[in-house]
Amino acid sequence: MKRAFLIAVPYVWLLALFLIPFAVVFKISLSDIELAIPPYTPTMKDGLWTMLSQLDFENFIFLTQDDLYWKAYLSSLQIALISTVLTLMVGYPMAYAMARAPEQWRPTLLMLVILPFWTSFLIRVYAWIGILSNEGFLNQFLLWIGIIDTPLTVLNTNTAVYIGIVYTYLPFMILPIYSALDRLDGSLIEAAEDLGCSRLKAFWLVTIPLSKNGIIAGCFLVFIPALGEFVIPSLLGGSGTLMIGKVLFEEFFSNRDWPVASAVAVILLLILIVPIVLFQRNEQKQAEAEK
Amino acid sequence: MKKMMLSTVALGALAGAAIADEVRVYNWSDYIDEDLLTKFEEETGIDLIYDVYDSNEVLETKMLAGGSGYDVVVPSNDFLQRQISAGVYQKLDASKLPNKVNMWDTIEARTSAFDPDNAYSINYMWGTTGIGANVLKVEEFLGPDTPLDSLDLIFNPENMEKLQDCGVHFLDAPTEMIPAALQYIGQDPNSQDPDVLAMAEPILAGVAPYVQKFHSSEYINALANGDICVAFGFSGDILQARDRAAEAENGVEIVYNPVSEGSLMWFDQMAIPADAPNVDNAHAFLNFMMDAQNMAAASNYVYYANGNLASQEFLVEDVIGDPAIYPNGATLEKLYTKSPYPAKVQRTVTRMWTKIKSGT
Amino acid sequence: MADTVFAPWDDPDQKPLIRFRNVTKRFGDFTAIDDLTLDIFEQEFFALLGPSGCGKTTMMRMLAGFENPTEGRIELAGNDIAGVPPNKRAVNMMFQSYALFPHLSIWDNIAFGLRRESSDKAAISARVEEMLKLTRLEKFAKRKPHQISGGQRQRVALARSLAKAPKLLLLDEPLGALDAKLREATQFELMDIQEKTGTTFVIVTHDQEEAMTVASRVAVMDEGRIMQVATPEQIYEAPQSVYVADFIGDVNIIRGSATAVGPDRYQIAWAEGRDPVHAVSTRPFSDGQECHLAIRPEKVSIHAEHPAADNAVQGKVLDIAYLGNLSTYHVELPTGEIIKAQVANTRRISRRAFTWEDPVWISWTETAGVLLDQ
Repeated sequence: MKRAFLIAVPYVWLLALFLIPFAVVFKISLSDIELAIPPYTPTMKDGLWTMLSQLDFENFIFLTQDDLYWKAYLSSLQIALISTVLTLMVGYPMAYAMARAPEQWRPTLLMLVILPFWTSFLIRVYAWIGILSNEGFLNQFLLWIGIIDTPLTVLNTNTAVYIGIVYTYLPFMILPIYSALDRLDGSLIEAAEDLGCSRLKAFWLVTIPLSKNGIIAGCFLVFIPALGEFVIPSLLGGSGTLMIGKVLFEEFFSNRDWPVASAVAVILLLILIVPIVLFQRNEQKQAEAEK
Repeated sequence: MKKMMLSTVALGALAGAAIADEVRVYNWSDYIDEDLLTKFEEETGIDLIYDVYDSNEVLETKMLAGGSGYDVVVPSNDFLQRQISAGVYQKLDASKLPNKVNMWDTIEARTSAFDPDNAYSINYMWGTTGIGANVLKVEEFLGPDTPLDSLDLIFNPENMEKLQDCGVHFLDAPTEMIPAALQYIGQDPNSQDPDVLAMAEPILAGVAPYVQKFHSSEYINALANGDICVAFGFSGDILQARDRAAEAENGVEIVYNPVSEGSLMWFDQMAIPADAPNVDNAHAFLNFMMDAQNMAAASNYVYYANGNLASQEFLVEDVIGDPAIYPNGATLEKLYTKSPYPAKVQRTVTRMWTKIKSGT
Repeated sequence: MADTVFAPWDDPDQKPLIRFRNVTKRFGDFTAIDDLTLDIFEQEFFALLGPSGCGKTTMMRMLAGFENPTEGRIELAGNDIAGVPPNKRAVNMMFQSYALFPHLSIWDNIAFGLRRESSDKAAISARVEEMLKLTRLEKFAKRKPHQISGGQRQRVALARSLAKAPKLLLLDEPLGALDAKLREATQFELMDIQEKTGTTFVIVTHDQEEAMTVASRVAVMDEGRIMQVATPEQIYEAPQSVYVADFIGDVNIIRGSATAVGPDRYQIAWAEGRDPVHAVSTRPFSDGQECHLAIRPEKVSIHAEHPAADNAVQGKVLDIAYLGNLSTYHVELPTGEIIKAQVANTRRISRRAFTWEDPVWISWTETAGVLLDQ
């Protein structure tokens, strides 16, 4: 029940208000740019039939003609994938430590994981600028303890983007894994050791497979939003950080081309549908197994 | 009985007033002396509802979506021009703007390039795009006597290579950077010819590797904290960085210079959306702002030049006497304005910009 | 024929498989095991019996390697095993919760331990098949643990822990999760498998009936100490303390003071103005020493008239517990004490001799009870 709740929070947030906005965006993606209010044509003002008859896939064809778009999708996929793996590597030990912590500490630890959500996401990302910049805390600290002589350039690189994404989405990774590990019967580990496993082997053969569903849920909850991430790459990333979120922003705000921007968004969603469906299936399987 | 009737009438009048006597203004953040807002309410009895935004894009999205509910908005010139074509604004009623006589013809001549006859807008503030520099650091990296007002500082790869470790920020705005690059190679900065525009690409691409960040506002902090050496940005922002550094007394000295080859001018224009609910009150607000003393108060607060000639006698010396804010005659002559690109050209420009920044 | 009786503990030449020597285990301030010494022999089916918190689970966890003794040593086949991790011990454990791996099939659960020490697929397969056959689980090999019944799960757990042919198998409350009928059947199955495999079993249980049924010897524990180690018959018939007598089965305790009336014969004054009762005891008592006479209810008979018996006391029927095959009569003595008498129901209820409030006599022989000093 607790687990269901923990999963449901981000999950509902992710999917609840999804279908109607998508229909609107899809319609705009089939329209043409126009200097007017709203900045595309046709609209419902032209009558439903006229409107429908004037829609076409021109914008989608356009997206295939410039390599910018597929490169941006690919680069976003790569960044999201690497960030997800990094988040897993950081989040799993944390979730594990939490699940192994004394019972009375766990609510506090859980609270600490959720605590960052209480401040604005933007402020937290800005804080990283202060930490990672050439004159920032990180460099000052490293210079002070003498590990480096010249400041490291971390800000405005992909490294900073990874740090930002891992930091921001870490709770989405920790919570489902924690809830899986929390329910893990400790005697299973003892049984594995009893049957000849070293600690490490028992972890690998029992703990990991039994927290698999938590890992999968956490990975999707990180991967899906990271793929379309805009704020983190634009604040922490450099000019070479190519992400579809930024391309989308430019289509929308610089080119004021709502139809092409919508087409970019629709394709992004189509790419995301695959992991979303997989995620859903995983959750269903989980629910069935629990019955 | 009579008393009760009276109060009912009063109530009705109040209710009516609540609808009729308000004006909703949507302006840039940190862009007005708030005493002026109180003064306006006291003088006119109109309720002033004041909201702020921090990017033209946000304003434009609201305007193009329609039904924003605002009566007065303050877009920048090229955004204004495009939005006028889109039918976002209504023509001003000159009969309701007696203070229009205070406006500065020099500036009105410039603004008429994107708002013919200044039919849709009045100027609020204007400024230039130019170079902000950390004097001591640039000297350290490039030696003394380096001109801090020439485009050579930022478009010559030799200079930029030396400056890269010190840090250079460019505006993340092709509509600002491409005209500057064209100006640097002696082309018409206002050109809309794709072939001419393409000539800016190698200039910008040649120095892009040395640019630490393309961003349209972060350079304020970065300059003020001494994190970077040079930023190509808006006059007001760099002046803000200069003042912050001075206040912090952190040994950082920032100067702003309009470009000696000729700076791009920007204008923030007050305009009334076509669907504004309180048109009369919007005019009342514009007229109030065009009052010489009020406009001077605004400029004295934000340290920007305005387009109001009559206000100049009320400006403090720090504002009117600073050539970074009010450029002197020769520099003023060289300033230029730019019209917005048509949609197709804009797409080319955006694409070129992405390529310059990311190599893709 | 004496050789066929399995009693290595009585043979001084036998080397025990497991030796606890003055073992103490403390958790913080709490002493779970208190200076305990115990030998367990090969092929024994040894039961650790006691109420929860008596330390029996700690003993088992020390054998498995999950805990180490604070003081003393534990030897397995002559070697000190302190510090040897669980995965390096020739000991396997069947967990109370069964601890079956939910993500693995029955087959893979059983093969789990085998795969850790060998990569010979054919050998593993053969051994798993053998285990499946032994526990009659062939049909379920491909299923996951949540797809089989509780009894089947119990057998999987047993098969998995036996698969590596350990020297010693530990069973932690192995039947606790099963219902009464299945438990009984499984008890015999366990004994059968223990006999077939010749493995030494140590079972932890709080169920005295279970311990009595399966074990060759039973250790009754209380508060970290062993109260008595003996065969089930000895535990039942000759408990060494009131605690053991009371813990195992039902018992009547009559408190009094002993006076010797002959060799190994004592009379016990138990109530003012009542005739003393008589008992035979090899345990010596001094005159006037406080003693407890423990008599099992089935050794007390009930009569309408004064019987000719070593001991007879009058009372009245207070309560009758009808258990089907037996009835237990609770007889209240005039002194207020209640003595239970158990009678086999060889007749139908309607013919039953006594009913509530009937005045009756109860009697037992001199040798029926055990005279205990504590």
